[in-house]
Amino acid sequence: MKILKSLLVASASFLLFACNQHHEKLPILGERQTMERMVNGKLEVDTFYQTIPAFSFMNQDSAIINNDSLKNSIYIADFFFTSCPSICPIMSKNMLSVYQKYKGNNEVRFLSHSIDPKHDSIPVLKKYANKLGVTGTQWSFLLGSRDSIYNIARNGYMNYAQENEKIPGGVEHSGYFILVDKDKRIRGAYDGTNKEQVENLKTDIDILLNEYKSAKK
Amino acid sequence: MRKYVLLSIGLTVLVAIFFSACSEESIKYQRYYSDGLNLYKTHCGNCHMEDGSGLGKLIPPLTDTIYLKENRDKLACIIVYGLSDSIVINGIGYKEKMPAEKHLAAVDLAKLLTYVTNAFGNNQGLYDISEVEKNLRNCK
Repeated sequence: MKILKSLLVASASFLLFACNQHHEKLPILGERQTMERMVNGKLEVDTFYQTIPAFSFMNQDSAIINNDSLKNSIYIADFFFTSCPSICPIMSKNMLSVYQKYKGNNEVRFLSHSIDPKHDSIPVLKKYANKLGVTGTQWSFLLGSRDSIYNIARNGYMNYAQENEKIPGGVEHSGYFILVDKDKRIRGAYDGTNKEQVENLKTDIDILLNEYKSAKK
Repeated sequence: MRKYVLLSIGLTVLVAIFFSACSEESIKYQRYYSDGLNLYKTHCGNCHMEDGSGLGKLIPPLTDTIYLKENRDKLACIIVYGLSDSIVINGIGYKEKMPAEKHLAAVDLAKLLTYVTNAFGNNQGLYDISEVEKNLRNCK
């Protein structure tokens, strides 16, 4: 009887442990809609998650970056401008530490959207990338029209960016890093000025990459 | 015997005077340094980073002790009026503009500079308010 009991406990804890290991997944953030449909006479419910709307911007190498170019990558998005005196340098420094961890892994990409397209021309963005020590195509610094960038910040990434003459730099924006999966769904948001949260982002990137790895198996 | 006692009392008094003067100076230094740390976080840390490491080749680090020593009399001016000339720090050229921080009082500049010239591996002692005031009169 005693043996049976301990066996039961052991197998239960093993199951629990196994469950934990295989089902570590990131939540899917944003709005969701459900749609009911009939399949072979049975009612099924489909869930539609909020995704990043289609976009097309130019990066520091004058290459077009759109939904298609990120098909096989997860990516981290943020909003910045090169002459920003407030939170941007800290954000760039923290993003740089994430970039350095995944440098060379094309499954992880970075999109930094400039919210000051008047000043941040392609050569300005290129110089900024170079001086930051960013090479290659993994990290794109994006130029788009002001409205399209502000729009995707608000409606796509649940971020905000707007002009405000009262603050240094003339544009205010939130400092979030947004983690987006291969299906363009938002899987995490992290304060880009906070070292601890940036560490959480790194952990979550690993978890997300693992989701794809175990799905492949 | 009496001579030795008197001598040792005299010596003790001298040593005591020396140390009390020294600790007054060092108390002032400690106060400037810790106030300077808070001012640094508010006014400088966003760009030069909390550890003074700067950002790539965009924002210079504050670890170039030789630069800080050679340009000691210009540091207050650089903070107050910003910088648009290029400078060389640790052998690397930096060309980006540094914004001006015109609103800082002389005493805050003294505290800030005491912090900067003694943190991040620097060790250059108290930067007094009189030194700041003198240097500010000579800004170009």
